[in-house]
Amino acid sequence: MIKKQFTHPDDEINRTRRNLLKLAGPFTLFMACPAYALDLFKMIDPDEKSKDIQRAKTIFEGVGSIATSATDLDYKSEFAIGESLALEGFQRYGLPSKNQLVQKYVNTVGNAVVQNSMRSDIPYYFVVVENNIYNAFACPGGIIFVSSALLKSMNNEAELACVLAHEVAHVGHKHALQAIKRAKFFEGVGKISTANMKGEEGKKFQNMIGDLQTVLFDHGLDQDMEFEADLSGMSFAYQTGYNPEGFIRVLDMLKQKEATAVKEGSWFSTHPPLTDRIQKCNEGMGKYPDAASLAVVSNRFVEYRKLL
Amino acid sequence: MKIKCILALFGFLFISTAVAANQPPSTIWVASDNAKLKADWKSSSATLAEVSKGTVLSVLAYQEKWYQVKLPNGKTGWIYRGKVSETEVQKTQGKEEGGSVGGLLGDLSGSNIRADNTDSSRSIRGLSPEATEYAKQNGTPQVYRNELDKVIDRKVSPTEIDQFLKQGKIGEYQE
Repeated sequence: MIKKQFTHPDDEINRTRRNLLKLAGPFTLFMACPAYALDLFKMIDPDEKSKDIQRAKTIFEGVGSIATSATDLDYKSEFAIGESLALEGFQRYGLPSKNQLVQKYVNTVGNAVVQNSMRSDIPYYFVVVENNIYNAFACPGGIIFVSSALLKSMNNEAELACVLAHEVAHVGHKHALQAIKRAKFFEGVGKISTANMKGEEGKKFQNMIGDLQTVLFDHGLDQDMEFEADLSGMSFAYQTGYNPEGFIRVLDMLKQKEATAVKEGSWFSTHPPLTDRIQKCNEGMGKYPDAASLAVVSNRFVEYRKLL
Repeated sequence: MKIKCILALFGFLFISTAVAANQPPSTIWVASDNAKLKADWKSSSATLAEVSKGTVLSVLAYQEKWYQVKLPNGKTGWIYRGKVSETEVQKTQGKEEGGSVGGLLGDLSGSNIRADNTDSSRSIRGLSPEATEYAKQNGTPQVYRNELDKVIDRKVSPTEIDQFLKQGKIGEYQE
């Protein structure tokens, strides 16, 4: 028995009409809540037999990815961006300091403030790189760089904790991702996998990492993001038990060095004017009337600083 | 007489406002990982329970930098101020893969700085396949990939952080 090889045009039209009617529900729901719309697709076509419905689902998922933007990427994708940027960070700012004790010390101080941060459910990695530029920056996903010059210029652990907390705040607020949310790469990409690291998509990914480098290494983030990270970071340090004024001391120190220091690729060129930051942070200190009674920890810090 | 009454009224209002402002909140939320419920308002007192981030607590009293609180299960004890928030905190789902649970760090909490010999014996987790692909496409020299491997492989356990804070007399360990 030979099965029917073709369908009547009227059948085809009716089937399309039926599917269009079926899609009306998910489309309306999609406009209000994309996640529920995708669930509705499962209800309409539980066995995933209808090619039309499945094609529409794929399109909806793609549109959903655009609508959700870079800041809604899953952690794995965010971390892949962070790792790629970190590779560029080493090439730009130098290799990590060889002293493993210093690396572990900085990693421990950083992770102590992470416990009191807004996004403590992801792992963070802190690394000191050998460089004479006063700089620190955070890659998406939680890889945080601090230069040996900046570390050497600090006087106590509270200052270090505050600087690291500032960077932790950038990761928590997803500032870097916000800065590149319009990158072409994110058009139609909800997740990053090796599949979209090749060919045309791969080029877009590389361009996006290039954009991130321009933002974090050269132009800097939006000034409001920096002020937000300043105040959030002081709050994380305070919650941990460090005197948040340590952050203002670091800014004061940088202000003194500003005239003679290398500006390119440093906190001097990528961050708002120090005077503005100091003023805003001083205003923020009003929230911490007992700050002076909190920990500063000079001796331990100096012991480790000597190892650099 | 009238002036005295008005002044007394203002005085009463001022004191009431000041007292209200210093009153501890009735409800607080655990805002930190690794928060402990203590038997007394001192870090050296016995730990009664570990309380997870986002747990709602009823405040019974406030002493120094410590809240006396009641947990949803009825257990009471003391919790350090730095571990809580007066605004609601979302419960955490636990660390993402690769989280700081390894406890592989050398002893930083002791009084002396000790060398860590575990680095060379550890297995390297390696970059994600995506970052590896990026490095391949970009021709990133192997030395940078190896260094990033090492960075991602470093982990600090909550216990080590706790000991580190204790040694530095930081937060709840401040004397």
